[in-house]
Amino acid sequence: MLEMTIHEKACRGCQLCLDVCPTDCFTFDEVTQKAQVAVVENCIECLSCSFICPSLAISHKNHHQVKNFYRNIEFSRRMEKFL
Amino acid sequence: MSGNKVRLNTEWLCDCGGCHVALVDLHEKMLEVLQSVEILKCPVLTDEKGYPEADIGIVTGSVRTEHDLVAVRAMREKCKIIIAFGTCAVYGGLHGAGLAHTREEIMDYVYRQSPTTKTDTIPHNSISALAKMVTPIDEVIEVDLYLPGCPPHAHYILQGLSSLINETTPRVQRETVCAACNRVMKKTDVTEIKSPSEGFADNETCFLSQGYICQGSVTLDRCLAPCPNHGIACSGCAGPTMQVLTEPTRDIRTEISDRMSRLTKIPYDTIKTHIEKSAKTHYAYAMATKMIGNKPTFLIQKWIAEGEVL
Repeated sequence: MLEMTIHEKACRGCQLCLDVCPTDCFTFDEVTQKAQVAVVENCIECLSCSFICPSLAISHKNHHQVKNFYRNIEFSRRMEKFL
Repeated sequence: MSGNKVRLNTEWLCDCGGCHVALVDLHEKMLEVLQSVEILKCPVLTDEKGYPEADIGIVTGSVRTEHDLVAVRAMREKCKIIIAFGTCAVYGGLHGAGLAHTREEIMDYVYRQSPTTKTDTIPHNSISALAKMVTPIDEVIEVDLYLPGCPPHAHYILQGLSSLINETTPRVQRETVCAACNRVMKKTDVTEIKSPSEGFADNETCFLSQGYICQGSVTLDRCLAPCPNHGIACSGCAGPTMQVLTEPTRDIRTEISDRMSRLTKIPYDTIKTHIEKSAKTHYAYAMATKMIGNKPTFLIQKWIAEGEVL
């Protein structure tokens, strides 16, 4: 089952995720001024929200991973060594 | 590594020395670290000229001179784990911006033209000559771990060192500086890009929303966002996010332009062109690394080829 989480403390309330999501998975909480995941079932795993989020605060779990053939494998491996 | 104390070497290549000061920023937590760590070589603490055998080797700074090259190779030989510590070691650092100039230009400015310089001679034998390129250390030796940051915040240093000493997995955070910033990002009707010296930015609202270029959203958080939280836009000192590094189509200028154009009324292309015009400032910290330099969207290789005969 797909899981989508927003790190609440990191959310700056810019609503860019609401703008880019093609299937309207998010809602905006006017009180806390933060985005929330409303209907995760709608998610088509395009990861647009994850890429547009200025804080990189949106993360997906158990999503279908497509191999990125254009990615630089050597540099991607270095990312595993980051502290 | 339990039982005996972990032996630690640190070495200082081409950098400002701030990373070694950052180690002292651990304050009283330093005492905790010292209970399980023995410092054998540290340029600011010990009078050790050689390279003793050690478990962990912290290397700060990038390779720009003959001395740096010899030192970094000796560290690799004697240390079991090498940590590229600080932005200079990981990406080449701020002086990577020197790649936009020839060595002659740099030497001439530093020793002759600089307003604070009184001499008129360029030293020949008292210092190691500048190499053609600024090189991050992982292009010279095998690096085991990376800790970017200019300097890395004591929080991340302690987290990294203690997980190494206790043999636990560190929680690697991939969030950006925005994640630690307290400003609110909101959509505004701003139509023009402002220079940092123009007016005073509102302390509650995001710099991008107000028309100021801030690199927070494209910079890895290894600092806990002190600058934007104190009224200064982020200059990207901890280097680009993993997203920018691994995706060839995503770059510092395109990511900022994308977000800023959605937050304000400034068109995407206007912002992109603006950042391109001041590229040396915005790309300075990561210019020297191939992770950025080899991007199809980046022109640094062309600039260097024009300036230096490789």
